Amino acid sequence: MTHTKTFGILITAMVILLLITVVSLLLGQYPINFNTFMGYVDFKLFGGASNDTYTLLDNIILQIRLPRVLLAILIGASLSVSGTAFQAMFINPLVSPGILGVLAGASFGAALGMLISDQWYIVQMLAFIFGFVAVGVAVLIGSMVTNSRSTIMLVLGGVISGSLFTALLSVIKYIADPYSTLPAIVYWLMGSLTMADLHGVLLVSIPMLLSIAGMITLSKYFDLLSLGDEEAKALGVNVPLVRLSAIILATLASSLSVVMAGMIGWVGLIIPHIIRMAVGPSHRLLMPLSAIVGAIFLLLADSVSRLAFSVEIPLGIITSLIGIPIFIIVLKNARAAWN
Amino acid sequence: MELNPIIKVKDLHFSYNKNPVLEEIDFTISSGEVVSLLGPNGCGKSTLIRLILKLIRSNIGEIKLNGKSIHNYSHKEIAEHIAYIPQYHNVPFNYTVLEMVMMGRVSKLGFFATPSPHDHEIAYESLSKIGISNLANKPFGQLSGGQKQMVLLARALTQEVDTFIMDEPVSGLDYGNQIRLLELISELSRQGYTFLKTTHYPDHALLVSSRVVVMNNKKIIADGKPDEVITSDMINEVYGIGANLIKHEEYIRCLPTFNKGTL
Repeated sequence: MTHTKTFGILITAMVILLLITVVSLLLGQYPINFNTFMGYVDFKLFGGASNDTYTLLDNIILQIRLPRVLLAILIGASLSVSGTAFQAMFINPLVSPGILGVLAGASFGAALGMLISDQWYIVQMLAFIFGFVAVGVAVLIGSMVTNSRSTIMLVLGGVISGSLFTALLSVIKYIADPYSTLPAIVYWLMGSLTMADLHGVLLVSIPMLLSIAGMITLSKYFDLLSLGDEEAKALGVNVPLVRLSAIILATLASSLSVVMAGMIGWVGLIIPHIIRMAVGPSHRLLMPLSAIVGAIFLLLADSVSRLAFSVEIPLGIITSLIGIPIFIIVLKNARAAWN
Repeated sequence: MELNPIIKVKDLHFSYNKNPVLEEIDFTISSGEVVSLLGPNGCGKSTLIRLILKLIRSNIGEIKLNGKSIHNYSHKEIAEHIAYIPQYHNVPFNYTVLEMVMMGRVSKLGFFATPSPHDHEIAYESLSKIGISNLANKPFGQLSGGQKQMVLLARALTQEVDTFIMDEPVSGLDYGNQIRLLELISELSRQGYTFLKTTHYPDHALLVSSRVVVMNNKKIIADGKPDEVITSDMINEVYGIGANLIKHEEYIRCLPTFNKGTL
């Protein structure tokens, strides 16, 4: 694919993302007229006389909708870029960002936080830490069984670590107060962007954007890693370094998404498949495009979750309900992209 | 002609889980040679190739690339000197031929760099050198075995190196493609490229090598000119069958004897 065509596709995707972002900001229980919105943007960017509407919009857009929209974009992009990287690295179409146990670990950490403290920042910190601990355990098991550090052992380590932390999560649920803590844990595990606040979102956006950018930088190496470790090495890739970097970056992005929004499944599994079917497997376009489309997907899913019914449906449920039928269709056509 | 050693293997030993796989391996590959590595299954040919490419490591003995131990080379630096052409294989993702060939350029690119129009040009040149420009936009997965092997050879050319290592290049190819590939190797060697290739066919070694190294039971048992090394006695010793060496046109050919109903 030529440079111009690659560039064109990415710009088009960005424009679509921008349009959906604006529409998401306008829609809600209090719909905002497009002209009012443009006036408000003009006022925010270039100043001018404030009025009551603008004060109201400050509250609705800046405090309520914008953090949520930004978080949906960040998490959608993080999860699908991590999924794309992992599918290439582990040469496996069923791999998702959670394969090394990061989501199970972070969920356990969050549940533990809710059990021992009512401070939200403790919950978030524990989620983040245990996301990394779980991946560390996976890598350790993977390298313990054999010293060849082959990817299949790593996947096995991830499955073991994931099961371990899922079991530990059950322990927490079992001993949690069934009238207050348990429902909080269960609800939070369903995944939701309702906790988003502007300050927190801006704070996590820095590491999340850095890890997304980092993984996109590694794009050209993922093509080679998908040929297998030995061939990649023979073609000049420092395989252990690229693999370790990708694991650290994906773990960082994924644990932060659990920290901010709980468990949101399916994004990191289906988006890479859809994009690969659409534009082919070359990672130079695949990686950035799956970041953008992942963001679009989660933004749309979140709009459904807050607008479709009078009560908000947890986002994790929506992504599963949308994701499963898409995945079935994708699997039917997967032979086009996977041999 | 002054021989310029490229790869020098000295007293190399290798064990896998304490089982010796290679013992006392000594040999040199010089610039411009086509060396065929001959030997039965499990004699350690592929292991030797993987050691030279630093895909596995041995602590006993030494492998030097252009006078420097390969332990002092990164994989990127090795790829700047040697191109490895594996047996054709399936690839999980359906890359196009051009995308496959472009992967040979990654060792030339800096960490943040993306391929430039110059890299594309080299990829196209390599395809045309092998004579498969028409395949550029075809999906690699849908090619025949012979075409896949040609693509991997074109990918090696994009690395812009002088030395190629091939693992059983004709394995799995049909009769015609086997010969066409050997002709291509012979043509590239005339252009000055150096080859180290493993093979199961003494006949092929006679056709395209300037030197033959024979391995058996973890060791090198013969090393020299093809027609001096490949003899009926050697074939009998290594493979346990009889063979006749016949001069046909300008080449000596190897024909195994066939005994009907020995069971």
